[in-house]
Amino acid sequence: MSLFDARFFDLITHCSNPDSIKKMAFQAKQSGYSGIGILNPSSDISKIDIPDDFSLFSSIEMACKPSAFRDEIRKNKGKKNILIVKGKDEDLDRIAVETEGLDILMQPARINNIMAKIAADNSVAIGFNIGSIIRNRGDSRARDLTIMRTNLMHARKYGTQIILTSDSHSPYDIRAPGEIVALSAIFGMTPKEAVIAMSAMPLDIMKKKNFDYLQEGIEIL
Amino acid sequence: MKTIPTLRDKKRYIAFSVMSEQEISRRELFDDILNSTHSLFGDAGSSEINFALMTYDGKYGIIRCSRKKTMDAKASLACVNRIRGDHISIMVMGISGTIKGATEKFIQQTCINNAEPDNKER
Repeated sequence: MSLFDARFFDLITHCSNPDSIKKMAFQAKQSGYSGIGILNPSSDISKIDIPDDFSLFSSIEMACKPSAFRDEIRKNKGKKNILIVKGKDEDLDRIAVETEGLDILMQPARINNIMAKIAADNSVAIGFNIGSIIRNRGDSRARDLTIMRTNLMHARKYGTQIILTSDSHSPYDIRAPGEIVALSAIFGMTPKEAVIAMSAMPLDIMKKKNFDYLQEGIEIL
Repeated sequence: MKTIPTLRDKKRYIAFSVMSEQEISRRELFDDILNSTHSLFGDAGSSEINFALMTYDGKYGIIRCSRKKTMDAKASLACVNRIRGDHISIMVMGISGTIKGATEKFIQQTCINNAEPDNKER
């Protein structure tokens, strides 16, 4: 069985209206994805006409103050929204990984061993934005690659969940899973790790959003 | 001058499709692929990848690269995102050891599937 037989998901895409969501969904399906997450959708995504065997998820980027993270999580409890915080500086990243119930800390600044361990304990996944490798050039890309390499090293050591996303703003930004694997190899990620970060990890996050999910290790039969 | 077969570089042919807002010429596409490779892997890296554009018809194309550097070649192609300010994306359809294989297995097959959507599921 090939590594690429898995079902792939890109949890962070930016679309504003139903028409662009539809275009994005068709392009993603053509590229080999089984589902995408729409960041802060403006309308109800369940009514959008999408290809067969394809899923749309709603992701919420929490842009509030770090002190309001818990309130925001409480507000979204029982809903199927994937909760994301965009990493900025060490203080914000630290508060984010300490917040239980948060799903993804996207592209944090350089994390350390303490933060990686807390993130693993609280099941907060560390997001790697492959779009920044695609869109940036020169110094900024070199800086991003250095941060990703360090974060990957810590995530590996402490078993922190990893998510890969192309952070696409238009159908032209979507890259197939094979290409994401090739790009992630630049900062030292193995193909197997990259495939898990695009298939098993998103599925794991979505499993937690099911209404019958209670807690890790507890299942309703 | 010819190199003896045992010392010859082993090559791979990448079949790709281009999705762009406006039609891109062969020269513009290849220049941008080389720029992207230079920017990502530097001079030494791009010489190892050894890109050569074999065919390109405005939508589908075949590019040659070194066998040991197919992953780097795919990464370079994925990093091409703008030409003349227009959005563009290059999607790798498959990798083959011969031009014939790349054409028959990936490009012709895609054209057939696009022409007859019912065949896609088979």
